[in-house]
Amino acid sequence: MIEIPSLSAVVAFALLVLGAPIVPGIASRTKSILTGRRGSPAWQLYADLWKLARRGIVYSTTVTWVFRLAPIALVATTLAAATLVPLDGRTSVLAFSGDVVAFAYLFGLGRFALVLAALDTGSSFEGMGASREVTFAALVEPGVFIGLATLGVVVHEFSLTAMLGASQPRPGFVAAGPSYVMVGLSLFALALAECSRIPVDDPTTHLELTMIHEVMVLDHSGPDLALILYSSSLKLAVFSVIITSVFVPGARTNVGSGLGVLLMSLVVVPVAIGVVESVMARLRLPKVPLYIAGGSALAMFGLILVLR
Amino acid sequence: MTLFVLGLALILAGGVSPALVRRFGRAQRDTLHQILVVSGCAVSAFSAARVLVAGEQVSVAFRTTMPGGAWALTIDPLAAVFLLAVFSVGAMCALFGTQDLASEAAAHRGDVAHAAWFTQLAFAVLVAAIAVVVAAGSVIVFLGAWEVMAISSYVLIITHHEDGDVRRSGLIYLVATHAATLALFAMFATWQSGAADWSFAALAAASPTLGAGATTAVLGLALVGFGFKAGFVPLHFWLPPAHAAAPSHVSALMSGVVIKTGIYGLLRVLFLLGGAPAWWGWFVLGIGVASGVLGVLWALAQHDMKRLLAYHSVENIGIILMGIGVGVLGVAFHRPAIAMLGFSGALLHTVNHALFKSLLFLGAGAVYRATGTRMIDELGGVARRMPITWLAFVIGAAAIIGVPPLNGFVSEWLIYQGLFSSGQSRDAVRLALLGIPALALIGALALACFAKVAGVVFLGTPRSTQAAAASEVGRAVLAPMLALATACVVFGVIPILGIRLVSGPAGVLARAANTGIAPAVASGALAISALSVAVILSALALWWMRSALMRRGLTRHEVTWACGYDVTTPRMQYTASSFASPLLSMFGRLTSVRVDRSPTSLRTHPIDLVLDGVALPCWHVVHRAALRLRAIQHGRLHLYLLYVMAALLVMLGYLVVGTRR
Repeated sequence: MIEIPSLSAVVAFALLVLGAPIVPGIASRTKSILTGRRGSPAWQLYADLWKLARRGIVYSTTVTWVFRLAPIALVATTLAAATLVPLDGRTSVLAFSGDVVAFAYLFGLGRFALVLAALDTGSSFEGMGASREVTFAALVEPGVFIGLATLGVVVHEFSLTAMLGASQPRPGFVAAGPSYVMVGLSLFALALAECSRIPVDDPTTHLELTMIHEVMVLDHSGPDLALILYSSSLKLAVFSVIITSVFVPGARTNVGSGLGVLLMSLVVVPVAIGVVESVMARLRLPKVPLYIAGGSALAMFGLILVLR
Repeated sequence: MTLFVLGLALILAGGVSPALVRRFGRAQRDTLHQILVVSGCAVSAFSAARVLVAGEQVSVAFRTTMPGGAWALTIDPLAAVFLLAVFSVGAMCALFGTQDLASEAAAHRGDVAHAAWFTQLAFAVLVAAIAVVVAAGSVIVFLGAWEVMAISSYVLIITHHEDGDVRRSGLIYLVATHAATLALFAMFATWQSGAADWSFAALAAASPTLGAGATTAVLGLALVGFGFKAGFVPLHFWLPPAHAAAPSHVSALMSGVVIKTGIYGLLRVLFLLGGAPAWWGWFVLGIGVASGVLGVLWALAQHDMKRLLAYHSVENIGIILMGIGVGVLGVAFHRPAIAMLGFSGALLHTVNHALFKSLLFLGAGAVYRATGTRMIDELGGVARRMPITWLAFVIGAAAIIGVPPLNGFVSEWLIYQGLFSSGQSRDAVRLALLGIPALALIGALALACFAKVAGVVFLGTPRSTQAAAASEVGRAVLAPMLALATACVVFGVIPILGIRLVSGPAGVLARAANTGIAPAVASGALAISALSVAVILSALALWWMRSALMRRGLTRHEVTWACGYDVTTPRMQYTASSFASPLLSMFGRLTSVRVDRSPTSLRTHPIDLVLDGVALPCWHVVHRAALRLRAIQHGRLHLYLLYVMAALLVMLGYLVVGTRR
């Protein structure tokens, strides 16, 4: 039967929902500091969301209800996926055997809606973005599953709470240490692709031909665009928590340390992303599959180590 | 059991009624046909449901004086699950098909070469034959119904026989299906040699005494015979052309149900043999992965909507086989919990695929009827002109890519768990874990493919005048699609329904002592319900919030942004081919697309690696060799008589030599 979620899990979920927009802000702040520019403040996205929420919406004359549903589906599925992650480091709001599959496929539903919305406009640019999005997603998905399966083999359970939560010391963790590191690095690399960051996609690009995620949302405006921007930040925040949970070992026996780890992950991972974005340029599109395959191969090594 | 036979009689009566009742008009005859077939399906489905609830098998045998023993019909829980899928999909396809044929006849008056009554008769015979295949309790009934099913399918495939391509597709199907039947004859003959008679019960009793070699032969022949019907790689090559050639409701029935008789056959063989060795499980798992990945990859390359859907059947059969492979491995390594997950995932995916694939074929058929083309790149903007069809199609598309809250997710979730739990053990079975990334790849590629077909066919602006002139199909055609879509949603939001449906037969196949649903699966199903409701409710709340915001701001309607360039035409839209191109080029020669390039044009032709690369070249070799034999076939009767005499003499000689030894 479904267990009542613990208070700390609910508090952590609320923290994530409210704090998500700071994550891309910290990444871009890091980038501006490292590249010696003034840049926008870390809370820029809050201001953008507030501004967009009060704007009107322009709909293309070709679009159907799919276009209107997509931003909502994105936020709803990302929120639902976040309930499956042990955000306070211990338990999630909702945990069940095989929730890993639900986690990945909820993002799939959101992506399906967004891609259909892009095709709904009949714009060649948005079609191009949609095509690239599904292409790279198809490569990222197996890699993410390899990584998560590796964690599952160590803890003998196929549930995110068991894999990432740590209310007691993890058995077999020390022996599986190298695998954890490989899976963590691989998830970081794949999360950059999944969340449309450099070196796969550039969220700040200005040329439609070079975009992936941004070009799909060219025709969204006002509250719709706010929802899409918010869901991207939420997705980035969720992946930040997952990556940190893989790296932070040991028990988080009290609620305070768990929530501390959550807040830390919302800062550390975006800083790392900012560093990557400062030192790297975007890869050429034909090189992206190699990058993703490399990330997946790292997770595969981790899996082989625990399976041996 | 009486009810089951009565239902079949009603279905067959529905089949002959349009031919017999000539006095009525077309509309009345169609209605009579629909009422009889649907009520027959309902009555028979009720008897199958009763078996499933009671959990005990019912059977009936007709004693005959013919060789091969009594003609037995047996419905056990395994058969009942398949029967429910057969009758529900069969009834929906009958409703759709009758209307579809009527509107075709109305649109092309006097131009339609086939007779409606004949198609309706063949359809009813096909539904009844599938039901008898599944309910057969002895080899004779099984093979007889199998052949009736194969021939009536052939008749339906070549409905539009005035088209040369259709005849060619039908011929390929006919050759493939008879190769399958041949393998099945060999399989049953090998198996029966130690059994008392030809009933399935006798085969099951003889299984323990079957030698290792004979078991291997039976399992290998089963894989060939049922594999042709199920259409997994590399035996799938007949499937895409046949499904594209047949009328839409027939494609829906064939893809949803007929190819599942191959899966049923494999499971029945496993059931009667009482499990299979581990190598067979690995082999099936491997074929499943190959079918899944290649099926969806080839689907991506297609230009024809129905061919694309047909390749997705190859993919989904692959997913089902992965479940069966996990199940067999679980039994072979004595892990009933793993076997239970594998078999219930496979069975549930069979049922789910029957629902959403028939829905998708009916949707494609509705678009074809409204526009007159099946070419994806000639369509576009259909969603605005056919909103209900679009709603049903997009639900089917979301179901087939396996996202929550729809039914496809539930069965894939079970198979994922089966693959994962085999990964936790200490023996060789843990290698099945490698199926997880394969299944993830299949799911993500399916998403790409359905984004392509749903997005390019239904969204954007029309790419041709036919697409622009489309209008919504009638209510009688929409009703079966909406019914199937509702089933997809219900089984997705309340997963325990589907899991409970298949847990009984899955438990028997898994040889589990406790055939109940595992607590982890039951609580997971409940959690999926909660998650689905949460997604739907939060979407509604967000929609309401945005409407509140929109009341304050100004909502305007403008043309799509095209970088300031305002003379856009529909031809500037991304086409399906360009959409799929990055993925296809990544997989290189595996995708088997032939590209014709000239200075001013670029055309891509998807070819089938197996059909065009192996099967047809082999056929041409056989054909050339056969031409050499023409010399002895010259039409001179007296020489033919000489051949007969010579053959008789040779046989006589063989007998004399044989008896002397």
